[in-house]
Amino acid sequence: MADKAKEKSKFDIKKWFRFTDKGAKLDTPMLLITFVLLGFGLVMLYSASYVYGIYRFKGDSLHYIRDQALFAVIGVVAMLIASKVDYHIYRRYCVMLMGVVYILLVIVLFMPEYNGCHRWIYIKNVGTFQPSEIAKFAVILLFANMIEKNYDKMKTFEYGIVPFGIVLASIVVLMFFQPHLSGMIIICMVGAIMMFIGGTDIKWFFLAFGALVVGIVAVLIIWPDTIHYASSRIETWLHPENDLSSAGYQSYMGRLAIGSGGLFGLGLGNSRQKHLHLPEGQNDFIFAIICEELGFVGGMFVIVLFLALFARGIYIATRAKDKFGAMLVIGIIVQITLQAFLNIAVATGTIPNTGISLPFFSEGGTALMMILGEMGIVLSVSRYANIDRG
Amino acid sequence: MSKQRNQTSVTNKMKLRAIFLCFCVAVCFFIVRANMFRIQILNYEENKAEATAIQLREMELSPNRGTIYDANGKILAQSATVWTISVSPKESKEEQHQLIASGLSEILEVDYSSIIEKLGKNNYYQLIKQKVDKPVADKVQQFCSENNIGGVNIAADYKRYYPYGEFASTILGFCGSDNQGLAGLESYYNEELTGEKGRIIAAKNGWGLDMGTDYEIMNEAHDGYSLKLTIDETIQHYLEKHLALNAEKHQATEGAAGIIMNVKTGAILAMANYPAYNPNDPYALTNESLAAQIAAMADEEQRVQAMSEARQKQWRNKAVNDLYEPGSVFKIITAASALDSGKASLASGYYCRGFKEVEERIMKCSQTGGHGAESFSQALINSCNPAFIEIGAAMGKDLFYDYFYSFGLAEKTGIDLPGEQKSIYYTDETHTNVTLASCSFGQSNKLTPIQMITAVATAVNGGNLVTPHLVSQMLDSDGNVVKDMTPEIRRQVISEDTSRTIRRILQENVTSGNGGHAYIAGYRVGGKSGTSQKLDTPQDNDYIASFVGVAPCDDPEIAILILFDNPTGPDGYYGGPLAGPVVGSLMGEVLPYLGVEPVYSGSEQSKKNVTVSSITGYDITEAAVKLQRAGLKIKTVGTGKKVVSQFPAYGQKVTVGSIVVAYTEQGESTMVTVPNLLNKSPTAVETTLISRGLNIKEEGAYSGNKNVRVYKQSPNAGDKVPMGTVITVTYQDPTYAE
Repeated sequence: MADKAKEKSKFDIKKWFRFTDKGAKLDTPMLLITFVLLGFGLVMLYSASYVYGIYRFKGDSLHYIRDQALFAVIGVVAMLIASKVDYHIYRRYCVMLMGVVYILLVIVLFMPEYNGCHRWIYIKNVGTFQPSEIAKFAVILLFANMIEKNYDKMKTFEYGIVPFGIVLASIVVLMFFQPHLSGMIIICMVGAIMMFIGGTDIKWFFLAFGALVVGIVAVLIIWPDTIHYASSRIETWLHPENDLSSAGYQSYMGRLAIGSGGLFGLGLGNSRQKHLHLPEGQNDFIFAIICEELGFVGGMFVIVLFLALFARGIYIATRAKDKFGAMLVIGIIVQITLQAFLNIAVATGTIPNTGISLPFFSEGGTALMMILGEMGIVLSVSRYANIDRG
Repeated sequence: MSKQRNQTSVTNKMKLRAIFLCFCVAVCFFIVRANMFRIQILNYEENKAEATAIQLREMELSPNRGTIYDANGKILAQSATVWTISVSPKESKEEQHQLIASGLSEILEVDYSSIIEKLGKNNYYQLIKQKVDKPVADKVQQFCSENNIGGVNIAADYKRYYPYGEFASTILGFCGSDNQGLAGLESYYNEELTGEKGRIIAAKNGWGLDMGTDYEIMNEAHDGYSLKLTIDETIQHYLEKHLALNAEKHQATEGAAGIIMNVKTGAILAMANYPAYNPNDPYALTNESLAAQIAAMADEEQRVQAMSEARQKQWRNKAVNDLYEPGSVFKIITAASALDSGKASLASGYYCRGFKEVEERIMKCSQTGGHGAESFSQALINSCNPAFIEIGAAMGKDLFYDYFYSFGLAEKTGIDLPGEQKSIYYTDETHTNVTLASCSFGQSNKLTPIQMITAVATAVNGGNLVTPHLVSQMLDSDGNVVKDMTPEIRRQVISEDTSRTIRRILQENVTSGNGGHAYIAGYRVGGKSGTSQKLDTPQDNDYIASFVGVAPCDDPEIAILILFDNPTGPDGYYGGPLAGPVVGSLMGEVLPYLGVEPVYSGSEQSKKNVTVSSITGYDITEAAVKLQRAGLKIKTVGTGKKVVSQFPAYGQKVTVGSIVVAYTEQGESTMVTVPNLLNKSPTAVETTLISRGLNIKEEGAYSGNKNVRVYKQSPNAGDKVPMGTVITVTYQDPTYAE
């Protein structure tokens, strides 16, 4: 007790950050995959964004890549530091972080509107960030902690469902007011997958799925107009060329970009659609530009990179020292992979347009920094994992 | 410790579920990958084509259409730059639409609502107005820059312009709205004149703006070739002037045509139709009464039909597009063939009873009383049908058709004009004795005027069949000769000897026969008239009056064919009196213009023109000597010593031996009354006029021919004129009715 009081009385860096043992090595394949994704992402972002920079920022072709590169450097430093930090210390702050996230999610609703949404918090002279990005990490952290703590009772309703449900529902409600549909989807799906791996009884998933179907049917019966709305959205999704005025335009241009790439593409830097034909070619639709410039082969390479990241992540998770580390890695890896999947699925017209960026590639410095930081945590977990490091 | 480790470590269930998750992710990415494969590999071509359509903009560069020059380099048809105004709806700002529409509608006189509608379209090109002149285009430019308007495009284009208006319209033709030649040379040489279009393929960005020249592929336009014609603007003007004047005078309801050709080369020096049209506005009817008549038609369909027919008719080039029966003019060909084949000679004799029976059909001669005994030359001069039936029969069907074919009458001449009509004729196999007989004197076979004049040219130029042509050279845009277009002589049809004989007879026909209407002193004109009944019209009495003249007959330079279709004027319908004088007048203008020196025969010496010298201010004796030296006579009025004024004035052209009245005192001119000269002989005219101090100008038939009588005079009898005035008399030989 006295020790504890003594510890509280003076500032001790070791209390805040506990570094890993010098001997424990991080997982090199994972580090490699991360660096390849980061490097490739920066190159493609520059190629995809310089035209937009020239046209929108008075000929500044470096406008987008400059910020991105800066954040990438900061992110890499953050990643390397995080990989050295013993991840167990995060358990202490997970509830506190969640509280901060709730506050931020409320604050953001009072921020100025952009494109009809309140998603960004503006801090003068610093910049902007999305609380939902932090929310994702907070949920992952909290859920990993909860699963570690209550793993034995995960099958029960009051431990396996209720606390998770409350967290997810409260966040969904707050994000609903932004509104931020894609953020909601990602947080819910990441949360659900963590619960699934964490041991929640399978029947709840079937029940949830059933409830979802019933809910959709109920909505359609109560508000028959939504059938018309939904069918027009689906029509736009399947045949974007018929609705070029608004929603379909981006999807159609994306499809043409991918389509005109062929097997090997037009060559790096040679995209034609990026010449203002394809809106957000540096952001949500960067995958289309990659496919146009590097062809089917280039697009496949991106997919393979993300699959490798995912597979290595699962490998690390299953060999993690404890459930907390495993769940942390799974949450982070699933979040990245899920975003990549949804983004690529949108770009290829596999699912309707939702507005999710491609991790490591899309423009957005804070997001990139967050991802790299999270990768640092994954690497930190890998140091303790029982991995054959060859 | 180990228990706790078990508690915290990853369970097998978690691992199993993680593997299941891996499986799900693999499936998800497989679906995405399949979709990529479909878009990029399976539908590659389709998507690429659609993308290209969006990414590239193709623009055409109009080549400049070639210029048409006359033989002396005068511009007959030229392309001027005009401007096309268009809008690009996607590049225009929506809030400016009303401003753009009101501005453009005011400047261009285009409907406001139509512009608004075009601006509402979701594309990059909507045409507003074509063929706008530079000042208007400048106004549009100014309007756009003043109001900071984007999305209005002004592009250069070319408009065809014919500086001489109606001049040579049926030869030149005209161009349609896309600068494509639709008639005449514009149509025949359309490809050469047009040149090659150029293309710019420019990459454009999502805002529809060009991405700069780095992204451009350009094929330059090649301007069309220019044409240098054989047509001489001066000669064409002579022809058009006389043709229009006489077609109106003789009321040729179906129009008139004229051709002037270089008989040695086949070069067309002039070719005209009456009525003509204005190629600058080819759709407007030249015939105003017809236009009014059509406009008054109640039935829409009928009106459109009538308008279209009337336009087609005014665009027709009778000389090339229409067939006619050449009538007696064709006797030149029959005569040349018979002489050349040896089936007739100058020594041959014929007897005309006024008609001839061929297989129980009576064929009449124009002189119903008959010409009696006549030589070969006389038969042609008399234009005697029975004699020519005999000549034709002597040749027989085979030989007649052989020559017909050799003269190029069974095929197109190959003139470089569109729509040359093919002749309708009897061959050696289809001829009967009756058709052979009628064809011998120019009926039954139907030819184009250009075929007829080409055959005549062949008959008189030494026997060489030429190709009539209008273009001598093709030039590039810098004026360098790209191609010489003069065609070669096709073949020798008759001998030089035969040709010389034909020339002699034709000249004789003009000097002392019924071709006298075409006579011009000093120019050795030969010719033959023709009057043919139109057999394909419902009326019985529709005629075509024509005349073919050649000169100078010792070494022919040019041939002129004049044709009046259905003349209904007071002067009748005979080719000699109607078309003959036109040929004569034209010869009198064209030959001096071409630099052909007049050669006066003994009797013609007295008809030579001289220039009146200035005698004002001279002593009377001096003046008399001066005039005498010029071949003129002096007649003094007054008692003074010096000439104070003279009539005719200095520089006037008068006939040798004319009187110049010299006034030695100030005061009124002496007036005399013009006597009646009608039906007087040349000698009587001379004595009557000289006695009154009046001068003579002779026209029409050759005055050396004792039979000629005055049938027209100007000024009229009874008019008061100053002494020394030139009285124009026109002679005609009344013994030769057509």
